[in-house]
Amino acid sequence: MTTENSKDSAWLEQVGLGQQWEWKNGSWWSTPADFDLRANTEKMLALGARFVAITAMETGTSPIRLDYQWDLRGQLLSFIMLPESRVAATIADLTPAADWAERETHEYFAVEFTGRRHTRPLMTRAGDAVGIHLRQEAAQ
Amino acid sequence: MSFRIPIGPYHPALEEPYKLELICEGETVRDAVMNVGFNFRGIEYLAERRNYLQGITLVERVCGICSNVHSLSFCQAVEQLNGAAPPERALYIRVILAELERLHSHFLWSGIAAKLIGFKTIFMACFTLREKIMDALSAISGNRVNYGMNRIGGVNRDIADPASVLVILDEMEREITRTIIPIFLEDKTVASRCKGVGFLTREQAQAMGAVGPLARASGIGQDMRVAAPYAAYDRFRFEVPVQSEGDVRARLVVHAIEMIESCKIVRQAVSTLPSGPIHTPIPAGRIKVPAGTAISRVEAPRGEVLYQITSNGTDIPERVRVRTPTFMNMATVRFTVIGEELADSPLIQASCDPCYSCTDR
Repeated sequence: MTTENSKDSAWLEQVGLGQQWEWKNGSWWSTPADFDLRANTEKMLALGARFVAITAMETGTSPIRLDYQWDLRGQLLSFIMLPESRVAATIADLTPAADWAERETHEYFAVEFTGRRHTRPLMTRAGDAVGIHLRQEAAQ
Repeated sequence: MSFRIPIGPYHPALEEPYKLELICEGETVRDAVMNVGFNFRGIEYLAERRNYLQGITLVERVCGICSNVHSLSFCQAVEQLNGAAPPERALYIRVILAELERLHSHFLWSGIAAKLIGFKTIFMACFTLREKIMDALSAISGNRVNYGMNRIGGVNRDIADPASVLVILDEMEREITRTIIPIFLEDKTVASRCKGVGFLTREQAQAMGAVGPLARASGIGQDMRVAAPYAAYDRFRFEVPVQSEGDVRARLVVHAIEMIESCKIVRQAVSTLPSGPIHTPIPAGRIKVPAGTAISRVEAPRGEVLYQITSNGTDIPERVRVRTPTFMNMATVRFTVIGEELADSPLIQASCDPCYSCTDR
């Protein structure tokens, strides 16, 4: 029998999260094709998962990489999203836990989260430039 | 008629630099707006421009209270990438350090809570006990705050005199049991200030992604030491206290019991400390880490800390992501103060155990 404590991804398939999971370096990773961020968020919430973080990073091959991290039964699941531009739908209306994470990602990496009523600065102050974490060569 | 009271970022009623705008009707809080970022230092950015050894020193400065968990999380993530698994003795020492740090952090929180309750005798008692823990940490590491204990593949220092830690634990357990717990649980003054005040429901805590003692006081029992054990936590027996009430008193109870449980963990770890080396041999010079991404999660005193490190194969990380517990917990303050008396808001905020050095990074 596979459980969430084993490194067999069958339990993820059993809870309806598909098959494309890899256990690597401390968590489960998936890069789903045609990733529907909002539908995925609704599914995770329905499963009782806890939103953990958004980790943005520059990859050099895509405009931005966004890792959406959730805790499900003590296991960390990372959904990797590679959008074609630095734009993503908001999930803060579905899970308010993501509000600060989106605001932070916006000011660090200039990612626009569509559907938000406003994106108030979190770490920076009103009027400051966004994208302060982008590598200089990319920002120029 | 409502009015808006701006408090902070520096104010006698705040223990940390943040700005809270309270919208009040009379003496009742109707809404709150939280502003943070006053300690923003860009530590993630800085960590991506320093080598891994410099990174350990840097991330230990994320927090002035739980400094050890940051270097621990950082090292654990790197160890997953380069395979430098620490020896058994190092894992035990990491647990001892982490639990002593939890103890002094919880004593700090308890003392501040006691001061805000108006019970300064307990404030003094908590800070006296905290000093003894910090003395123990200083004896082990040579430092009171930034211990410099963690390294990639183990720890930098051995515990020279484990028996001395047990002597301090005896006193801690005695004082927590005899003084702290009875007053937090039974004293009428404490109950009148804390019971039924500053509610955070389980649903609200879940929706906001709350972690640590704050979440456990609202009925969410998750603790990374049990849910996803790291270091040597799976070798020890301890309880994770959970309260369902969700008020300030429940947070007091969770913190108090966690202090006892931390003593139990340290006692087990010291008593069964295995012999052997304290770190794996790593070649001298800069450490190059194989390309890849790794995540480490640690149960800090305030809850789950997450480090995600991406290596490009060089000696400087490509990405260092730091998500701290207060970053998740502090947005819950809005829920906990709505409907409460304005005069209770400092205690309610403090009961969430805020750390803005961590939050702002």
